[in-house]
Amino acid sequence: MMEDSVDATSTSVSSIGSSSDDSSGGASPQMGGGVIPPSIATAGNGMPSEKTYHDLEAWLMKLSNGIPLAETEVKSLCDLARETLLNESNVQPVPAPVTVCGDIHGQWHDLMELFRIGGSAPDTNYLFMGDYVDRGYYSVETVTMLVCLKVRYPDRVFVLRGNHESRQITQVYGFYDECVRKYGSANVWKMFTDLFDYFPLTALVEHSIFCLHGGLSPSIDTLDHVRQLDRVQEVPHEGPMCDLLWSDPDDRNGWGISPRGAGFTFGVDISQQFNERNGLGLVSRAHQLVMDGYNWSHEKSVVTIFSAPNYCYRCGNQAAIMEVDENLQKTFLQFDPAPRRGEPHIGRKTPEYFL
Amino acid sequence: MMEIDPVDDGPIQKDVPTPTGPSASPFNSPAPQQPVAPISKEDEARQVIEMLRAEDVSERVSAARRLEAAAAVLGEQRTRSELLPFLTDAADDEDEVLLAVASSLGLLIPHVGGSLHAHCLLLPLEILLTVEEAAVREAACKSTEIVAQSLPQATFQGEYAEMVSRLSSKEWFTARCSAAVLLSTAYPSFNTQQQNQLLTNFSKLCRDDTPMVRRVAAQNLGKMVKNVVTVMGRTSLTPTGKVTTLLLPLYEELASNDQPDSVRLHTTDNCVIFGQIMSDIVKDAPLEHDELALISRVMPLIMATIDDRSWRVRWTAAAKFNDVISAYDMLPGTMESLVPAFEKLLQDPEAEVRTAATFNLAHVANCKARVLVSNNGRPPDGGMDSSGHRTSVAERLVKRVTSLTEDDSDHVRAALAMVATELAPILGKESTITHLVPPVLLLLRDAASEVRLNLISSLSALNEVIGVDLLSQSLLPAILDLAQDGKWRIRLAIIRQIPLLAKQLGKDFFTEKLISLCVGWLGDDIASIRLAAATNVKELAALFGTGWAMENLIPAVLEIRENKSYLRRLTALQACSMISLVVDDDTTRSELLPIILEMAADGVPNIRFNVAKELQLLAPKCGLSVFESQIAPVLSLLSEDADRDVRFFADKTSQALKKEFAMSE
Repeated sequence: MMEDSVDATSTSVSSIGSSSDDSSGGASPQMGGGVIPPSIATAGNGMPSEKTYHDLEAWLMKLSNGIPLAETEVKSLCDLARETLLNESNVQPVPAPVTVCGDIHGQWHDLMELFRIGGSAPDTNYLFMGDYVDRGYYSVETVTMLVCLKVRYPDRVFVLRGNHESRQITQVYGFYDECVRKYGSANVWKMFTDLFDYFPLTALVEHSIFCLHGGLSPSIDTLDHVRQLDRVQEVPHEGPMCDLLWSDPDDRNGWGISPRGAGFTFGVDISQQFNERNGLGLVSRAHQLVMDGYNWSHEKSVVTIFSAPNYCYRCGNQAAIMEVDENLQKTFLQFDPAPRRGEPHIGRKTPEYFL
Repeated sequence: MMEIDPVDDGPIQKDVPTPTGPSASPFNSPAPQQPVAPISKEDEARQVIEMLRAEDVSERVSAARRLEAAAAVLGEQRTRSELLPFLTDAADDEDEVLLAVASSLGLLIPHVGGSLHAHCLLLPLEILLTVEEAAVREAACKSTEIVAQSLPQATFQGEYAEMVSRLSSKEWFTARCSAAVLLSTAYPSFNTQQQNQLLTNFSKLCRDDTPMVRRVAAQNLGKMVKNVVTVMGRTSLTPTGKVTTLLLPLYEELASNDQPDSVRLHTTDNCVIFGQIMSDIVKDAPLEHDELALISRVMPLIMATIDDRSWRVRWTAAAKFNDVISAYDMLPGTMESLVPAFEKLLQDPEAEVRTAATFNLAHVANCKARVLVSNNGRPPDGGMDSSGHRTSVAERLVKRVTSLTEDDSDHVRAALAMVATELAPILGKESTITHLVPPVLLLLRDAASEVRLNLISSLSALNEVIGVDLLSQSLLPAILDLAQDGKWRIRLAIIRQIPLLAKQLGKDFFTEKLISLCVGWLGDDIASIRLAAATNVKELAALFGTGWAMENLIPAVLEIRENKSYLRRLTALQACSMISLVVDDDTTRSELLPIILEMAADGVPNIRFNVAKELQLLAPKCGLSVFESQIAPVLSLLSEDADRDVRFFADKTSQALKKEFAMSE
């Protein structure tokens, strides 16, 4: 099983993590204007202003054809998204019905397949539980698309933070390199990683399904503990915020040391206690590759959902999403990788070899 | 790990953006608030020349691609005396730059003073024709040919001829490779004496010690033959003609087993060109005995590619067999060996070869010649044997389809599924039913989903030939099985065939057998299937009429409208709205509109804003009075909704409809 480890990145914490506090203030020196001041981004009654609306529609059109936005457009988008996400809670309430999805990891074609399976936004409501970037080759397109949907339809689409939505991890697993390759500089990487600090950590569907990327934390007993966290920062190396994004359920009871080097493992006793104390029916999380795309554990008190089919283009796993209807009935839909568009199914060309 | 913050270290954007330069990343579009000062042409030319000397390779590449603009500004005189010598001296640059220069040179003819001065472009080109990188030489050859065409005859037969002959005898092989290309195109414009010399030079290149040269020569051999026949006519094909004495022996030598496979690879193409030449002749007059003899010399070369030891050669033969067949179809006696050869390719040990051959199945079957029923022993020479029973090639090849359905490779069967039904119109009804339908049924039940998918997508060709009776008896059961296939793309492919099937099967039969299936798809788990199902019922309603739709479709839609899941109710809404667009206006107003308006009270916002969306399409059909009395009140209710998306779409629809009704007033 492929799991990430923080060990490789631990040395860089001080140099990169320290810049996160003032992230809302700063455009990099090369960035010119083109920023829509947040005050005119929304016009009265919660509707987007005319210009914002047209921008967003145009961007979504581009993105749904797999064309990344220009750097200045990403800048405007991130400014809008920060306003939207700032208003959300650490435990963001989400109404049912909603379709819950796990890791995407830059597999943009498979994200499009996910929408073909589950229905397009905004007709279908979506909750994504983090890990949009890294590993796959289209992190830029994937995360831009999801953020754009979030800004355009803030009540229809919800995005949580995963352990890969972090400055450290993205420098090791691909998002940083992809940004530099596609934009010629790290500006876009900085805009997005600064934005990631504002993503909610968890969501609560109809007071019953607790959704988050990783798992539970020994420092957190109640949802109120989560609500009290100051989330606007780089994912720390340890502590409750780190655990929520890094922990995994385990067969052994109690708390255990995670082989990932961050977060903990937790047993069925912990999950059931937590659910009972908080009046929850289920913990829904992502973070781990499961071959069927979803996996019940802890006597059905925890479910893992993984939405990147054939993870890393070679794991051979199915992906899944969980439809939660208005009566909190759950339906799992599994799916396979999207056939690559434009390429013939059968290779008809031989390579030109040297003599 | 990275020690410094990479952001602060990012490259600073250049002051002067290069608006058309391909090296400029599409993402670094100049910021809109900094208007780019219009650059004069003079400046642009200076900039290009400046950039040709730049440190950065990508800048030099981009400048080299804009040579035409620079030359236009410099004027003829300075282009000849300054730019071209500069380019000639700069021929040791990176390959990418040279490639761009080589391509640009062909465009400069008007800027050096037209055809009278075009020869001065040959100077830099001659150097580029000898560089190591094949792509640069290829581009240089193209430009050289363009320049050569514009040269006056005297220059062509003088300076240009000298250059080509110089290249063909240079010591380093790269020059000789370029010469092999240029010789084959230069032939028609040389004088007779030069032509003979050229053929001698060309045959030398075909027998060059370096296999790379022989490869390029082999690539151009067919073109050479074509030019010779064009210039000299059929005399070149007599026993003493150039083709017979000089070029066909080269065909044989370059196809021989002693050559590397990359040389033999071109045999198929060359034989195709030869066949085309002969077919052109046979259109006007029957072939002479000598010419038939030439064909019988070429046939063994084609046969040899089928049995070649290299799979690449066999693959090339298989992939281009459609060309071979079209080239030789008109020539007497050839099909007797070509068709068995093709059958052999279909049984090649390599799956890639079988796949490539299978793709050409219908092309080959489409040829006009008739062949013996089976291949017992050697076919008679003249093909005039009256005792053997003759049949069309399609009749003979269809027997191969059955054995291909058992091929081990999924790719071969997938290719077969793609083309098999194309045989139906060639075979005609009776033969299709006996020979083609059984293997098609096997493919419909193939274990690999891609095979099933390919076949379904090409089914209509078959259905049109076999007629409704057989369709309903034999194919329909298999189609019904696939309607429940586990792979959603297969179900989608089936749904897309339904409107056509419905047309063929007729209203009564369709209603009896298929309507429940169509309605069932509206409740599929996969969103794309539900949407396709809604589109499908709309098509059916359009086909079978309002009464039929109200009786057979709407009750099911009403049932789905009560489903617990909002996603299913959404499908009911969409299906109802789509049907209402194709039934008559009265029914829309009185029966369907109320169904849709009721859904505006749904508890889930997604349904409510979709009602608002659908009303935009629906309202014009209902008319102004219905809009004012029924639709507008619902929209104004929705524009006060608690959900902002519902308000948004309600407002959008209201505005659009008000505008539309105001215009039609």
